[in-house]
Amino acid sequence: MATKTVNVSRPYTWQEKFYLFAIVQGLLITLKHFINGFFLRKHNTIMYPEVKREYSNRFRGSHFISVDKNKTENCTACYLCQTVCPAECITIVAGERESSKNPDGVKKEKRPVRFDIDSLRCCFCGFCEEACPKDAIKLSGKYEMAATSRSDTKYDLIYLKREVKGRG
Amino acid sequence: MTLFDFIQMFAKMAVVVGLALSSVPFLVWFERRGSAWMQGRVGPNRVGPFGLLQSVADVLKLFLKESFIPGHVNKFFYLLAPAIALAAPLGALMVIPFGSHAMVMGQKVVLQIAQIDSGLIFLLAFAGLEVYPVILGGWASHNKYTVLGALRGSSQMVSYEIAMGMSILSMLVIYGTFNLQEMVAWQGDSWLGFIPTWGAFINPIGALIFFISIFAETNRLPFDLPEGDAEIVGGYHTEYGAMKFGMFFLAEYVAMVMASALISTLYFGGFNLLPGFGLLVSWVGGYTDGSPDALQNVKAAFEFVSILLKVGFFLFVFVWVRWTLPRFRFDQLMDLGWKVLFPLSFVNLLVVIFMSYFFVS
Amino acid sequence: MCNTTDINREMGKHEIALNYCSNKHAVQKGANPAPKLILDGEVVEFVAGDTILQVAERAGRGHLIPRYCYHPGLPIAGTCRMCTVEVEKMVKLMTACSTPAADGMVVHTKTERVLKSRAGVMEFLLINHPLDCPVCDKAGECDLQDNNYRYGPVTSSFLEDKRTYPKAATKKLSEKITLNMNRCVHCERCVRFSEEVVKSCDLMMVNRSWHKELTLADDKLGLTSEYQGCLSDFCPVGALTFNDFRFVKRSWFLQRHPSVCDGCSKGCNIEVHSEDNIIYRFTPAYNEKINGHWICDTGRLSYHQVMDPTRIVRPMLAHNGALQATSWELAQAATGHLLETAKKVKVVIGTDATIEEIRYLQAALPDMFGSKFTFRSFNGTGTLSTSSQDKKLDHLLIMQDKTANLRGAEECKLAPLENGQINDSDLVLLVRFGRSAVPAVGNGQKLILLGVWNSAEQASLGAAVEVMLPGLATVEKSGTYINCDGIRQQFIPAVVHLGEGMAVNRLLRFTKK
Repeated sequence: MATKTVNVSRPYTWQEKFYLFAIVQGLLITLKHFINGFFLRKHNTIMYPEVKREYSNRFRGSHFISVDKNKTENCTACYLCQTVCPAECITIVAGERESSKNPDGVKKEKRPVRFDIDSLRCCFCGFCEEACPKDAIKLSGKYEMAATSRSDTKYDLIYLKREVKGRG
Repeated sequence: MTLFDFIQMFAKMAVVVGLALSSVPFLVWFERRGSAWMQGRVGPNRVGPFGLLQSVADVLKLFLKESFIPGHVNKFFYLLAPAIALAAPLGALMVIPFGSHAMVMGQKVVLQIAQIDSGLIFLLAFAGLEVYPVILGGWASHNKYTVLGALRGSSQMVSYEIAMGMSILSMLVIYGTFNLQEMVAWQGDSWLGFIPTWGAFINPIGALIFFISIFAETNRLPFDLPEGDAEIVGGYHTEYGAMKFGMFFLAEYVAMVMASALISTLYFGGFNLLPGFGLLVSWVGGYTDGSPDALQNVKAAFEFVSILLKVGFFLFVFVWVRWTLPRFRFDQLMDLGWKVLFPLSFVNLLVVIFMSYFFVS
Repeated sequence: MCNTTDINREMGKHEIALNYCSNKHAVQKGANPAPKLILDGEVVEFVAGDTILQVAERAGRGHLIPRYCYHPGLPIAGTCRMCTVEVEKMVKLMTACSTPAADGMVVHTKTERVLKSRAGVMEFLLINHPLDCPVCDKAGECDLQDNNYRYGPVTSSFLEDKRTYPKAATKKLSEKITLNMNRCVHCERCVRFSEEVVKSCDLMMVNRSWHKELTLADDKLGLTSEYQGCLSDFCPVGALTFNDFRFVKRSWFLQRHPSVCDGCSKGCNIEVHSEDNIIYRFTPAYNEKINGHWICDTGRLSYHQVMDPTRIVRPMLAHNGALQATSWELAQAATGHLLETAKKVKVVIGTDATIEEIRYLQAALPDMFGSKFTFRSFNGTGTLSTSSQDKKLDHLLIMQDKTANLRGAEECKLAPLENGQINDSDLVLLVRFGRSAVPAVGNGQKLILLGVWNSAEQASLGAAVEVMLPGLATVEKSGTYINCDGIRQQFIPAVVHLGEGMAVNRLLRFTKK
């Protein structure tokens, strides 16, 4: 249901005009919070580095590419993620897998030679995950993605193939 | 001046200035943590125990920063402004009595640095100086935000100084003296044995007006329009960095201490013992050798504690109000100053004059 | 193509429908009227002998009838059963590709029966077709995908394992073509193409039904024709893929622009497929008069010359005996100085220049520097110098002359360069756009190169080169070619040149002293 807004125009009562009552009211509220914080130690802050926030399973964090039992990436460089990506942060270069390293035959003959994600451009919409026909690219629950250099924010295939706990 | 006079004067100054300045880091810490508690947060808690050293770290940082002076400023006034800002409230503290007197080596030491008969005038003069750093800093910085802040600050301080002066005048009528020691002594009585004859109980409207005006004088929320960081960056101290900014910062808190001391002295009995402290004095006095000097010293100590507690309470109120009330709009500020506080204080003054003429005399 | 809208305008729709429902009325109508049939309620005129599908195609309604085995350039087979339509008064559904249209026929392409039949065919095809579209290069331009999207069933009732051809899953039929038999839908377009169009007969189907398999006629020989790329073009699925494009780019990224192939004097029409002005392939564009549906592999691969990494795309100037990249200002100033001071200049224009370029040079150079220029054309390919010597190398498209505009040069009255003629000048301006051979240059002349050169070609001319002015290749410029049959073809740029090369009329702008 849409919110219904009612604008009531009425003159202020003398208590409202006097303003001091409202001030005292406000002061009491902050005093209550102060006492809660100072004496009862109630606060909503999560002490971040020591305590980490638990996100839901649906949280979309840094990317990874799932691998099969031979540690071969499931990605077949179909470009669907690159096509669907609204931020255009995925760059794929496709190639043919060497047949000696390819026990899966025709199913995995195409492989990504390069698979770069510019995480600074990424908006973590998860479209790539949704478009992927091989469930290869996924967004993990990892949200600590700060880096000290710009090049560290560009994820390459080796980084993306890392082991990720949880949503593997 | 004898050597003793010199030493006792120096010791008093060291105590007052030292206390005023060293309370600032604690105040800043309390402002930050207190606001955090009021907002359900934690606040700075990493540096030192309970984050107490956070302010020290901040000041250290300010010290180590490059002392940068923008090229377009008027250097003399630019550097003068923070100096006045800090000197004015410290000067005003000189006349605040923080105890009746102590007896040291058989000599009477009045616990007030400058025993001036016209102490209140001196105090008002120094408090009035506080408008200068705002104007000088704002104007010398050569920046539209600083000028805006300076204009706001000067008009606000001048406006509220009138209401403040009126409420002080009403107290002068009651006390009949400019001497702060005498004022405090005047408030030393009590009605019915337990209600102290504090100025605030005699002249509550004057106390309220003074209390509001003092917020405006110290540029604290809800009257921090000269800074107005949401609108005009930092107001008059936008162009200040490093320790020059630190001095403005320091001055704001010293001014708070001064304002709290002033309101305690004028309206809340000054160094007079808090209710119940009399018993404590006699209890502790029982452990001394019982000489009048020793008893007087114990009394002076508790008087000092009393005014410290009062000042501490008002400092808490300053912080409390800051994190409760939003900033005024400028026209609201002027309305309040000129249309409400000024006539109210004037009427209050007249009422006090009539009352004292008919009843007291 | 007959114009149905005009007929509609003349008479009411229903009246026509009544008139042409029976032959009797049609005969009464005029002495010798064109035959007409009704296609989904619209009256369509046609040429006698066409099949229903061809009638629909010519009426601009070919999209109503899906097909796999039918291809306008190939003989009709009628094997895929995808094109079935309902014809009134006929009991069974008819294959539109092989049923001749008859006067007064009433054809429906959207009835429930037809749609059910198409869904059935699609389901049958998808029983064995692997779901490897992500890997398949055809995805995005695949008939099977498109038709399944439009007509196919959503689900399959087939639960068993798919048939696979383990040995022919990734089989190199030649250097150019890879076969993935798993994807084949047995339309036999490729077999018909090799038998009827290129007549190389190197592909055939062996076994029947479930085990039907496309094989080479001779495994050792492989595919031999010069038109192998067409196999991957018309393969309705990704069974035959062109190695040059294999795994290179997904087709939906490509922008398609029409252009003309400059690989030989035939001037085949092509479509340039590019993304961000990088060309990824050439495909044939239909032109009945010139190339039909096909182009040869040499032409198809000729985009590599445009995209050649060794192609010189910056102006260069001789400095200390070696060419070095420079700015246009310096290169143009040096060219202007050379042309100014030279006594006799020979302008040798390769016959791959457009008519506009030739005419511009003929007009602009004497205009700027006086009448010290002699213009000669140069071909140097296939040991010929005039268009009368040009001849077909096979029965389809490939011509002996490997430049695009020999006829155009002749139209511009350019005499061919004879042996030794180059020696009587002190400065030679070599204009060449990458097709004509590099002429042998005598001793002593200074050289100015203009056009599309790669570094090896430039190096073969040695230290005589003073200035190198990069120009634009065919797909990067607009102009006119006249092909071996005298057909004028104008074209516009298909891609934007990515280097610093300029059109001839821009790069010859010298500031006169």
